Amino acid sequence: MSSDTQTQHDVQEILRLGQQRMARVMPDTDWQSATRKRGTAGVATMARPDRKQEAWRYTPLGFLDQAEFQPIVEGPFDALQLSDIDDLMLTDPPRIRLVFVNGYLASGLCAMAKSADGVTLSSLAGGLGEVPAMLRQQLDAIAEHNHVFAALNSALMSDGALIHLAAGVHLDGPIEILHVSVGLEQPGICHPRHLIVLEDGARAEVIERYCGLGDGAYFTNALIEVSLGSDSELLHQRMQEESPHAQHLSDLQVHLGARSLYRLTLAALGGAWSRNDVRVTFGGEGATAELDGLMLARDRQFNDVHLDVRHEVPHCTSRETFKGILDGSGRVVFDGHIVVARDAQKTDAVLSNRNLMLARSAEVDTKPQLEIYADDVKCSHGTTVGELDPDMLFYLRSRGIPADQAKQMLCQGFAQEVFDTMASQALRARAGQLLASRLLTSTPEQGER
Amino acid sequence: MSSTSKQVDALVERGYEHGFVTDIETDVIPPGLDEDVIRFISQRKQEPEWVLEYRLKAFRHWLGMTPPVWSSVHYPQIDFQAISYFAAPTKKPVLESLDQVDPELLRTYEKLGIPLEEQKALSGVAVDAVFDSVSVATTFRKNLADAGVIFCSISEAAREHPELLREYLGSVVPHTDNFYAALNAAVFTDGTFVYIPRGVRCPMELSTYFRINAQNTGQFERTLIVAEEGSHVSYLEGCTAPQRDENQLHAAVVELVAMQDAQIKYSTVQNWYPGDAQGKGGIYNFVTKRGDCRGARSKISWTQVETGSAITWKYPSCLLRGDDSVGEFYSVAVTKGHQQADTGTKMIHLGRNTRSTIVSKGISAGDGQQAYRGLVRMAQRAENARNHTQCDSLLIGDRCAAHTFPYIEVKNPTAKVEHEATTSKIGDDQLFYCRSRGLSEEDAVSLIVNGFCKEIFNELPMEFAVEAQKLLAISLEGAVG
Amino acid sequence: MMLSIKNLKAQVEGKEIIKGLDLQVGPGEVHAIMGPNGSGKSTLAHILAGRDGYDVTDGEILFEGRSLIGLAPEERASRGIFLAFQYPVELPGVNNTHFLKEALNAQRKARGEPELDSVAFLKLIREKLAMVSMSPELLKRPVNAGFSGGEKKRNEILQMALLEPRLAILDETDSGLDIDALKTVSDGVNALRSPDRSVILVTHYQRLLDYIQPDFVHVLAGGRIVRSGDKGLAKELEAKGYGWLSGQDEAA
Repeated sequence: MSSDTQTQHDVQEILRLGQQRMARVMPDTDWQSATRKRGTAGVATMARPDRKQEAWRYTPLGFLDQAEFQPIVEGPFDALQLSDIDDLMLTDPPRIRLVFVNGYLASGLCAMAKSADGVTLSSLAGGLGEVPAMLRQQLDAIAEHNHVFAALNSALMSDGALIHLAAGVHLDGPIEILHVSVGLEQPGICHPRHLIVLEDGARAEVIERYCGLGDGAYFTNALIEVSLGSDSELLHQRMQEESPHAQHLSDLQVHLGARSLYRLTLAALGGAWSRNDVRVTFGGEGATAELDGLMLARDRQFNDVHLDVRHEVPHCTSRETFKGILDGSGRVVFDGHIVVARDAQKTDAVLSNRNLMLARSAEVDTKPQLEIYADDVKCSHGTTVGELDPDMLFYLRSRGIPADQAKQMLCQGFAQEVFDTMASQALRARAGQLLASRLLTSTPEQGER
Repeated sequence: MSSTSKQVDALVERGYEHGFVTDIETDVIPPGLDEDVIRFISQRKQEPEWVLEYRLKAFRHWLGMTPPVWSSVHYPQIDFQAISYFAAPTKKPVLESLDQVDPELLRTYEKLGIPLEEQKALSGVAVDAVFDSVSVATTFRKNLADAGVIFCSISEAAREHPELLREYLGSVVPHTDNFYAALNAAVFTDGTFVYIPRGVRCPMELSTYFRINAQNTGQFERTLIVAEEGSHVSYLEGCTAPQRDENQLHAAVVELVAMQDAQIKYSTVQNWYPGDAQGKGGIYNFVTKRGDCRGARSKISWTQVETGSAITWKYPSCLLRGDDSVGEFYSVAVTKGHQQADTGTKMIHLGRNTRSTIVSKGISAGDGQQAYRGLVRMAQRAENARNHTQCDSLLIGDRCAAHTFPYIEVKNPTAKVEHEATTSKIGDDQLFYCRSRGLSEEDAVSLIVNGFCKEIFNELPMEFAVEAQKLLAISLEGAVG
Repeated sequence: MMLSIKNLKAQVEGKEIIKGLDLQVGPGEVHAIMGPNGSGKSTLAHILAGRDGYDVTDGEILFEGRSLIGLAPEERASRGIFLAFQYPVELPGVNNTHFLKEALNAQRKARGEPELDSVAFLKLIREKLAMVSMSPELLKRPVNAGFSGGEKKRNEILQMALLEPRLAILDETDSGLDIDALKTVSDGVNALRSPDRSVILVTHYQRLLDYIQPDFVHVLAGGRIVRSGDKGLAKELEAKGYGWLSGQDEAA
């Protein structure tokens, strides 16, 4: 557990080391310096979160005390070839694929099919050429430093995908952002920063994945900004399949224009410690957000999702459906916060969190919250925690399916409802396979306590 | 709201200008809290030495604590040295007749159907020495004594039943529990002790209202109810009539202990002064209530109707330790004007097959702010434990707020937790339907709200339920439109 | 004998529901078990299928000469026992085709038969679908989730057609069905009648027996079979009601 005495040291140290190395290797570009300064200032004023902060009440940060995370400033993995990441590829690989290795663009692994006019792809560190002005202006436009790690990302952001769709452009097929981490001698920390901007009426599908190659220890601290113009539509599919010894923290911040549609599917399956923060702000009337997620925690995994859905304008709809599967000594935390501001009349929000507990030493902590300041709204939330339904198990077994297999099928089914919201069939299949293999290899629990 | 803080000052300063006096004949001591004040209280109440020691221990602990900060409740800082911790029970101004009472208050009494003599008592008008309830109470006492039930003030218990009090006082809510519980343990001045012997079914509903000298609710009230093996008791706290009280801060502690197969039903109707239309004045009601289901198959049920106070902060809780024990929490809370309520419950499941039910109905009108905050915890050994929670909020008007903050912690896979929450306003179609049948808008709202709360009222003892319905209607007057 | 039950006594949550029941079912026979609500009909069906929480305290159940007591539900299924549920369970997220294929192959594997590959399975399931007039669309959906009452029952019969049990127990299969659905379901069952397949129909009403003709009718009351007869007994019951029987039971 974290002790108060060394609160600041570790995060400050990460910042100091990062800045030192960055100054040596990467000259500060003008257009990013404002963001970096804001981040540095943020880190200086913000303490490392602890259990006394409501949003970190259930999130243990003890790992920060146990490892000295070294900054990864240059990608020593130019040597990595496509065949090395074969296992990570989707069966039907998207024609546009931006691959990052340990936080830095690996151009040799990217696929850049010619896309429609009005689609701009760039990368933060300039690997895809000079970053166009409209993307420069949008960077850091909506990011909030809700915690010190977000500030740390702004201060030290390494590289990332910058995607821009001009008004009315409909992208055919998905863009994949594939983040590959290779364990180093010393556990490293990288700070990917992605930006997705859809102008009015644009439509796109983005697949964002975080994978570990091998089972190294490292810390991914990502921040993703998404800005949707009026009437635009984004299908955003995210999969966290980090190495079993990795820490993964993602802060996804989304701003929705009028009548826009944002669909997010999050499958958080890997890592030793994982936390996904998702903040969706409704900035224009008539917008819809559909957020679905699956959290898997088996063995000693810790898997945490925090939602902050802000209905700030009237006539918006949000659906949040998150599920947890726990096995072994796994621990799932879900904190779903929906705020309806005073003038956000006719808000329609439904939050659901269901958790399946398969083992005696697992733990779920869930906190679905509604904070409502407008009267003409329809808001609800439902939460359940329990083991597999004995009626379902009996039904399967009465058809001849052995108990273990029946359990497996029911878990898959439970997760499938989330995976089915993914537009990409290949990703859906991968998620299903990963889950199945992880459930099967979960260490059997030790006897009853 | 600095005006409110000034008002606190004004209230505590009034009549206390004589400085510190140790004369034990004095009914009032000046504002401030130190060990001498606590010794003074203990001495005046003729308490045994161990009670004083308990108070001092709590006080010393309290000194090291800081007042809690609640995200959804806002009020000015309280100066604990500006409060007088001992005052004789009748500091209310004595009026000569009902003519001098605020007509608004009288109108409310009339609507509630409160008899004239009681109206006088409630509003602070001098009453005849032979007040009806005294004789009623005497009869009650005899019946209770025959059954072996102890029902007395906590000070009396300290003198008459020290062994019982010593065993149970602070055993459910330790003095270290929270800031206000610690303060209460140091300075509690009034309260009730109930003891139901083994196998006894208490012959009547026990009510503070009928306990002599409990007509003034204490500022730091302490209640302890012990139900021995196989016993049953139903306890009613409070009263539907609005009560004037000079003390702005109330920090009560209620402890319930249920042994094997025992059942305790604790019902509260709280209708203290909520402050005026501008949000000035009003009671701060910071209460710690906890029940301990110690024995197998024991049951503790909390029912509350909270309509009063400027700020309500309370989470009547159940510690489900005995196997197969049951905890229940049924609540209606109304906030209007500038009232704030942060209320809910904690169900801590420790034993096997423990069950809990939470039904919370929140109604927010005007500028009212309300939060349900609840914790359901399933410990690792809480095999087959079950919880079902239903939280519904009803919003009336576009300036009010209703929040739901449940915390669910589960460490046992065989435990099952279900939580549902909804927030809505009264449907236009519902209102129209009622009005098209001839009901006024106000009556229609009252009808619909009563329906919304029916589940809770059903849990109240009969006569209380009827009063609670009327109370709700009155509370919501003027909330619409 | 296909199924032989002797002096069966069973409890649910400590309460005795089956109080000394005897029943003999030969190969190819169709037996109807009727009785008022709470008589133990559904309990019997669940005991045969191996439901947890139903404790056999006395007596024996032999299926094709071997005891069923203590066997897991899947072992019984693999031996050829099939229970069509009164309330088929919804399995959200579990694809119906996948479920059917897994069930069939699990049974084949348990019996030492080769498993079917996807192609062979799809061919087979298409044949069976036609048999119960079920829309192939329902195969793509999660098992029973969002199915109408009739669709659920049809899905049960589809499973029965696919799994080809030796003994099928239909628990109140007629409940909640309109006439058209009842007819389709009955046609499916009748098509599956064969000399080496036995059927137990558990039902409250005589109506189902107009569509599936039983060889024997038994009346279950108070946890015992109180009357047995042929199809005529069902008609008699319909005319006189169960009250007639319980009255007689008391007199006896």
